[in-house]
Amino acid sequence: MVDASNRTRPSWLQQYELVGKIGEGTYGLVFLAKSKLSANKGVHIAIKKFKQSKEGDGVSPTAIREIMLLRECDHENVVKLVNVHINHTDMSLYLAFDYAEHDLYEIIRHHREKLSTPINQYTVKSLLWQILNGLNYLHSNWIIHRDLKPSNILVMGDGDEHGVVKIGDFGLARIYQAPLKPLGDNGVVVTIWYRAPELLLGAKHYTTAVDMWAVGCIFAELLTLKPLFQGIEDKSTHNPLQLDQLDKIFRVLGHPTPEKWPTLNNLPYWQTSRQRMQGPKSESCVLHQVVSLQQKSAAYDLLSKMLEYDPCKRITAAQALEHEYFRCEPVPGRNSLVPIQPNEKVIGYPQRPVDFSADFECSGSQPQMVTSSHAVNNTGAASVPGPRAMSQQLPLGNMPRLAPYGIAGQTGMPGLPVNNLPVPRGPQQPHPQQGKRKEPIGGIQNPGHYASQSKSRRMQ
Amino acid sequence: MAANFWCSSQCRKLLDQEEVGHLSPADQEIGMTSEDAKIIKIHMTDYIKTLAQQVKVRQRVVATAIAYFRRVYTRKSFVEYDPCLVAPTCLYLASKAEESTVQAKLLIYYMKRTRAVPQEKCTYEVPDILHMEMKLLEALDFYLIIYHPYRSLLLLLQDAGITEMTKITWSLVNDLYRTDLILMYPPFMIALACIFVASAFQEKDTIAWFEELRVDMHVIKNITKEIFDFYENYSSLSSERLTAALRKLPQRT
Repeated sequence: MVDASNRTRPSWLQQYELVGKIGEGTYGLVFLAKSKLSANKGVHIAIKKFKQSKEGDGVSPTAIREIMLLRECDHENVVKLVNVHINHTDMSLYLAFDYAEHDLYEIIRHHREKLSTPINQYTVKSLLWQILNGLNYLHSNWIIHRDLKPSNILVMGDGDEHGVVKIGDFGLARIYQAPLKPLGDNGVVVTIWYRAPELLLGAKHYTTAVDMWAVGCIFAELLTLKPLFQGIEDKSTHNPLQLDQLDKIFRVLGHPTPEKWPTLNNLPYWQTSRQRMQGPKSESCVLHQVVSLQQKSAAYDLLSKMLEYDPCKRITAAQALEHEYFRCEPVPGRNSLVPIQPNEKVIGYPQRPVDFSADFECSGSQPQMVTSSHAVNNTGAASVPGPRAMSQQLPLGNMPRLAPYGIAGQTGMPGLPVNNLPVPRGPQQPHPQQGKRKEPIGGIQNPGHYASQSKSRRMQ
Repeated sequence: MAANFWCSSQCRKLLDQEEVGHLSPADQEIGMTSEDAKIIKIHMTDYIKTLAQQVKVRQRVVATAIAYFRRVYTRKSFVEYDPCLVAPTCLYLASKAEESTVQAKLLIYYMKRTRAVPQEKCTYEVPDILHMEMKLLEALDFYLIIYHPYRSLLLLLQDAGITEMTKITWSLVNDLYRTDLILMYPPFMIALACIFVASAFQEKDTIAWFEELRVDMHVIKNITKEIFDFYENYSSLSSERLTAALRKLPQRT
């Protein structure tokens, strides 16, 4: 018997073999699939499905931004948009990306929670260099990413591009050359932990420097395996002033002064924050202690230039690529995960958990059983005993989707094939809620979605 | 990319005269000529401008919307894609792409007040726009970034030291969106052609400046020819000509 939905299934779906669901967010779902086209048969593809917004405003501006920018981007360190598809029946939009097995959130977590060892210096440097290389491409093309954080920095798994960094998730990215509206109009952007101080203080005309601040935070996190500034977000307010986040920054870098940051007095919330912040205002910087780096080291020099308060003085991506840090040993390489030195241990990072019960048509809350012949049955999952029976015991609602950045309750079984079952783990470490991602354009904001936003995987 | 026209999809996809003038078999079948198509496109370009004034969006949104509209009909037929719906939806999509979203229901409100074809009542509602938005994304092959001549125009005028010609050249560029030139030539070449034409009109000597630029003057002359053809034959359409062309569109009500 043929399922009714099968007949309305758009023909383009035939070129993919669905493996399962790997992520979920406000915008929709992310699936893992394999290409069936002879040109790249068997190649893994991540397919991001955008739901039609209920407000009657069509394709979400997030999807439009991603399509518009990524359709034109072509760089080794920027995620590749392979294809876009539309299902006219349910008005959903599918973005197909090259699949990246890892991301920095998971890599850092693997080191922190499983290995309890730092990430080796070659890997840190190679990852950082490639992030900067991708960012330099974006910035020189007048694109600000605006939402850089570990979960948006993807790293390719086994294959030709093993260990290559891909900057992903362009849902907030913007062209900043002569924008029609001031950039500040787009609402609060960038996850709070990675948000630059000028944004926290209400700057309206921010620049590519906000991305560089985020890279600085990511650099520190790669070194210490811990977010550098873990502020608690004040969700009661719509204004960008986040006192706790500022406090976390000031404690590490010292309080900024108008002498060091001349435009400070022009920022809307500077005076308010000064009045409302209690305690002694030390100007001394303890960053080197926090990240355990010698103040004279090249790594520290680069990091402190990324975390420069004054956005005008903050190092640019192009300058950072030329920094001494990348010239001294170990020099960065293309495969960031496999060090060149023969005696270095290669770490097998876990693969993303896949929910095999998912179907392209399913919504997060009401999974439909898969009836189409090319979906679950053909994934090779048959070699693993009982995946379907198991998946029925694990309704989607119970998928381990607890980590602050994503769905991933990682199974943590390196080296096992991709059709591993997601096994629920014990309670996750409590993480403060990640920053909200406000739908920028006025009038179609969607505050009801903030809560679930933190769960979103935002794969690409 | 965003900053570099030469690496953009728009640059790679520039069309020639034959491609932009292509009339689909479906349109030919209902007796439409390429002349009719040209007139309908001019009328719909003006309609997009009218709607844009009502919903209050800036020039760049209008220009992008018109470029979408013209690009769609190099690939699709008027029979299958009703221009009365495509034109407003192009404006809707362009407003999103240019980060100044207009609500679909606002567009519908003005579409009912100002009809695309005066004799025909607008029966479209919000879902029609949303549905068409999807179809347009597909028809545009998901390429949404459009470069326009305006920015280069200002830079070039400054470079030539003739900023007093801003107004006349700017309106020349505006007028040229009633043609398919934006699909055929790099935007800065269109800007240059407008400066060329305007300086001839106003007897400004820009010859030395053009020589120094070392641009291909053949291209500039081809564009100039198109500009003259437009002003001679299409700048003001008689209502008979317009009605005759619009009458060929399939009835939808």
